[in-house]
Amino acid sequence: MSDFLLEFVEITQTIGDGLFFGTTYALIGIGFSLIFGAMRKLNMTYAAAALAGAYVGLAAFTFINAPAPVVFLISALASGLIGGAVYITCFRFIPINNHLAALMASIGALFFIDEIVVHTTDGSPLTFPALFDDVMFEMGPYGVRGDLLFVLAVNIVSTIGLLYVLYRTRLGLATRAVSQQDVAAQLCGIDVHRTNAITFVLAGLLGGIAGSMTASAVGVLSPLITVPLTVKGLIVSVIGGLGSIPGAIAAGLLVGGLENAFLYFRGVNERDMYVLLLLFVFLIFRPDGLFGSAIDRD
Amino acid sequence: MSYYLGLAQLIGIHTLLGLSAYVLMLTGQLSLGQAGFFAIGAYSAGILTVIFELPILPALLAAAVIAAFFAFLVGFPALRVKGLMLVVATIAFGEFVRLFFFNLSWRVPRGDIVVGPDSTNGFREIRYFVANGWSPWEITAFVWTFVILIMAALWWMDRSRAGAVLRAVGEDELATQSVGVNLTAVKVTAMTAGGFIAGIGGALYAHTATYVDHLTFTVLLATFAVSYPILGGLSSVFGTLVAVVFIQGVLVEGLRFMGDWRNIVFGLLIIMAMNLKPSGLFDARTAQVLKRAVGLGAQEKSDA
Repeated sequence: MSDFLLEFVEITQTIGDGLFFGTTYALIGIGFSLIFGAMRKLNMTYAAAALAGAYVGLAAFTFINAPAPVVFLISALASGLIGGAVYITCFRFIPINNHLAALMASIGALFFIDEIVVHTTDGSPLTFPALFDDVMFEMGPYGVRGDLLFVLAVNIVSTIGLLYVLYRTRLGLATRAVSQQDVAAQLCGIDVHRTNAITFVLAGLLGGIAGSMTASAVGVLSPLITVPLTVKGLIVSVIGGLGSIPGAIAAGLLVGGLENAFLYFRGVNERDMYVLLLLFVFLIFRPDGLFGSAIDRD
Repeated sequence: MSYYLGLAQLIGIHTLLGLSAYVLMLTGQLSLGQAGFFAIGAYSAGILTVIFELPILPALLAAAVIAAFFAFLVGFPALRVKGLMLVVATIAFGEFVRLFFFNLSWRVPRGDIVVGPDSTNGFREIRYFVANGWSPWEITAFVWTFVILIMAALWWMDRSRAGAVLRAVGEDELATQSVGVNLTAVKVTAMTAGGFIAGIGGALYAHTATYVDHLTFTVLLATFAVSYPILGGLSSVFGTLVAVVFIQGVLVEGLRFMGDWRNIVFGLLIIMAMNLKPSGLFDARTAQVLKRAVGLGAQEKSDA
């Protein structure tokens, strides 16, 4: 009986850690969803830009020995800037109804950014600073890592911040107007291009936070996580329902928790396979995702 | 010389990869999972010639059929959704296949060595051509036989009713459905055909390279697969061939002095091409202009 109890504690602990980490996936998923909501386009560069932002923060840490909070801030700002640059190079001048061209351009930018990162770091993983990584909270049989708790707090605060901007400011109103009906928004005097650019920068800021939080939770930053993070972000936004922010949050937690459950039962090499299968389960049984509407599908 | 033969084989194999994406793109769908079908073809053919000791031709055809079967399976759930969702689904499929072969370990003793896929260490013993004493010329001819066969088949199909149906679906799904075309059947058929062609390409790749591992079949390879028909345009199969020769022959080989920085140029090239020519470098209009420039267009007009 006590063996069973011990295993139960271990499993719930693992899944709990996964939920903490899932908030990062939720942020990446929200970023994909924001841009999809605004332009009905996929920005494949998004996760790469998020990690590139984290690398800029890391450079500040390595060369001027910036403290961890400054590193996180620089990461977010850099990723926001890259987001704006990606909008200009891959979306701004491509015809609005040509989804595939913008998609391909952003894949090109993905490899462009990824290659720059690989070459400047020689492709080797680098240590990333964390906050409160020496703190451990004990609650009965469970323990919570201080750095994961910090990641959770930052992720929740930035999600709330984003929701505030979207639903309580004029800027957010403009963003939502463009995402609902861009022509009508334009007739109301909203500059669509400017609003889209701001959406990209906003999503980029969020991505930079997610990127630096991922890196500080894992402890290292490596170009090897670009593609997996991209794929997981896409999966989260599809499972949540493309364009749906509450969906991305729920799906992020779901993927984070399940991922650690798969890790516990099947080991690290097979973990991601099951996450990918999860997407196909959703595609077959619920193609619109958790919170999506059928109209948003293409 | 063997260097140029190797390059010719690579161009042939990548042409097959590009054509596998081309078939599906005719129906207006973009798949980033072609690297997955390519991987299935490569590993299946390798396993068949190495572990089951089949001759190359049946192994290659069986590998193509296996890849086509998986394309058929993926086609159904993936094509219920379309456009961007299909892109996500196929990326996920490609990564799934890569991770599957990353985990696959199937070692069989053969004489005094052990052969077969060895998870992270890759699949090292695909030495059919060497063991049977094929010369580089013969291998190149073998690869290009398939390239020419597939190109001819697609060229012929494009001129038949089937090609018209594929292009009609790509132009306007609603209109095509209204005249009684079963969209799902057409798209799944195109997907299956694409899987078959990618499977042949993968099988040839595994045997010319003699070594495959999961890192070969990344999203980058899938991106190459779709960028050939995108850059080459969809007006004919030759666009894809021209794009492969341009990227693999001119760009990748010509920029050899840049070492590993070449992929950056590839990324930039796609961004620039999409900004300047969103519907492909050799789209229908450009093709028309080119034809007129070499005097073909005028001839066609007088024929009409």
